[in-house]
Amino acid sequence: MSRELYACIHAREFPLQSLLRLRPELQGSPVAVLDGRPPVELICSMNQPARLRGAALGMTRLEAEGIERLRLLSRSTESERAAREVFLECAANFSPRMEETEAGTCYACILDIAGTERLFGPPAVLAQRMCAALAGAGFQTSVAVSANFHAALLKAGEADGVSVIAERQEAAALANLSLNTLNLPDKEAETLAIWGIRSLGELAALPEVELIARMGQHGKRWRDIASGTFPHLFHPLEPRFSLREFCEFECAIEQSDSLLFVAARMIDSLTARAAGHALCIALLTIAMRLEGGQRHQLTLRPALPTIDRKFLLKLLQIELAAHPPQSAIAALTIEAAAGHASTVQLGLFMPQLPETSRLDVTLARLKALVGEDRVGSPVLEDTHCGDAFRMEAFAIGTPGSVLTERKPRIALRRLRPPHPVHVRCSNQRPVAFHDGHQSYSIAVAYGPWRTSGCWWSAGDWDRDEWDVLIAQEQSAHLLVNDRRQNRWHLEAVYD
Amino acid sequence: MPSANAIRLQIEQALESRFPAALSPMPQTVRETAAVGIAAIDGLLSGGFPVGAISEITGPVTSGRTCLALAFIAARTSEGKVCAWVDVNDALDPESAAANGVCLRRLLWVRCKSEAGPANGKPWSRLDQALRAIDLLLQAGGFAAIVLDMGDTAAEHGRRIPLATWYRFRQAAEQARSCLVVLGSAAYAQSSAEVVLECAPHEARGQTVLHGYVFDVQLKRQRSISTMAAMRKPPASTHSSIWTASNAWATGAKP
Repeated sequence: MSRELYACIHAREFPLQSLLRLRPELQGSPVAVLDGRPPVELICSMNQPARLRGAALGMTRLEAEGIERLRLLSRSTESERAAREVFLECAANFSPRMEETEAGTCYACILDIAGTERLFGPPAVLAQRMCAALAGAGFQTSVAVSANFHAALLKAGEADGVSVIAERQEAAALANLSLNTLNLPDKEAETLAIWGIRSLGELAALPEVELIARMGQHGKRWRDIASGTFPHLFHPLEPRFSLREFCEFECAIEQSDSLLFVAARMIDSLTARAAGHALCIALLTIAMRLEGGQRHQLTLRPALPTIDRKFLLKLLQIELAAHPPQSAIAALTIEAAAGHASTVQLGLFMPQLPETSRLDVTLARLKALVGEDRVGSPVLEDTHCGDAFRMEAFAIGTPGSVLTERKPRIALRRLRPPHPVHVRCSNQRPVAFHDGHQSYSIAVAYGPWRTSGCWWSAGDWDRDEWDVLIAQEQSAHLLVNDRRQNRWHLEAVYD
Repeated sequence: MPSANAIRLQIEQALESRFPAALSPMPQTVRETAAVGIAAIDGLLSGGFPVGAISEITGPVTSGRTCLALAFIAARTSEGKVCAWVDVNDALDPESAAANGVCLRRLLWVRCKSEAGPANGKPWSRLDQALRAIDLLLQAGGFAAIVLDMGDTAAEHGRRIPLATWYRFRQAAEQARSCLVVLGSAAYAQSSAEVVLECAPHEARGQTVLHGYVFDVQLKRQRSISTMAAMRKPPASTHSSIWTASNAWATGAKP
């Protein structure tokens, strides 16, 4: 017979923790979180240093600003949502059966850990590992393990660190907890206070039948909870796996270094979460909310899915330098698409090829240097129009066609854009041209080669091509007469 | 009286801490070559362009420089290797490259631009961009051949490139085992270049249509010559050759 065993991970001051998670430099200093719309903003969450300096729940912004060195942050539901996802991700590493609860500013996640002893060791060790894992993700938590769901929840909410309640010792473990932990309705709480009941132990000691006679079935429920015997029907969550991090800045950020500092932590968290699922990051979308409400978005697509945080951060740095935001950044969202790690079979006799991750960084740097659309592999268009090609992203491993029989072919060197020239003709053949600086007499003119196409669209062309040999230089040029506009261009040079 | 060998050994031992093997000549290594794919040029270069070194192809317009470089890239890409073409003046014609047998999917084309780019807020000329791009590509490694196409760059601009830059490229190319081919109207790399070829137009072929060209090529410089079998005096090597390139559409045409 399998016995029940639950571990409750409890995070106090969750609105504050969700904001401080990505700002470790604020962990030790007094910080309070304000909730509500200006001008009615009240403190809803704070840490211990803030409490010691005199901050209290419900204090207005004006009162809070009077406290020396108290940092005030605005509550962000977006940050809390992102933090909750990270919290559940970490917890899911220990058990897939989870249930979450929220009370005020506290957030708790209860895991069904029955049968995990062989994987993680005894409950105390498991609880320690949970605490450590969540601390790694930036959360300060307390963990309680019990065979009773409610006992674990109540104990984790009141005790610090790790507590393990032995089986059938729930009543004793909860006896000293205050009655307020049950969150009783005011009327019943007042009644119990009049009876002199202050702790759960005292409530559990009340006779059951008499309690039901006076308070109804609710009374029995509270008594059972207090004695650690109330049963619970577990409703496991089905967490959606999404790799998303959000951070809202207290003051808008203008320097990219400051942004990268925060982004580094976010990418750290994303790579760790992806690695936890044996996945890699295939795509990173960085969305920035700018001052004034505009949005700026960058996309990083490494050639191969990776969890190398330094590499991803380098790509982000280069992309930011190439496409800087127009104004200061108020909030940053990083979303990742997970992919499976690449499996490349290397061989001793394979040709020398660039390393994929280094090539990604090199390509990003080249794009930043010469422009996004000026780096890549040329692909010929299916047309007879001259100089028709498009650029595609350079990728290793893409199959390419290779001619079996290669012969040297005289090559063209294009002039982009084509150089307008004045041409002198005799008997409808060019005999000399002037390029604006110098006149060239044509020794031999081969042509014309007439081509036209796309007459049904705006990109139509109709032209005569001449291969001309210059008398003075022994050089061959490609002269083009655009018949639509009757203009001559020097389009290329043979080389 | 001690022999010359003994004195040399003594001096070397005395200076060993500062200069290892001070008086012994460096052992000559046979440099690996990569075939260009044109028999006349491969014969002239005793196998092809050296791997891990700088090779220069110089000459005026219509001297076959680009055709030669494309033939080399075609040979490298046909082996499954990847190459890069750093185009200072954005002059490469992909159609000509494909006609020469270059596998375009294995060619990284970097087209320098004339406008001052917003990169880091500093304007870069085309040549500066190209030199920076070469640095990045050599550092990345893995490219079998990199062509620095300065064919339309004025010689006086090319000569302004410091010798230290060429020396750095030479070292990097050696480490990355890449063939760095510099295409220009004059030789710029000077002592850093392993091979310098000077091209010139010989004659055009065709009566009514331009069938092709005959080019002259001269070997102006070759630093390391294979001395594997130096027992016998090598036969007198030729330093110039002639080769022909036909027009892309002139398949099977008899000029």
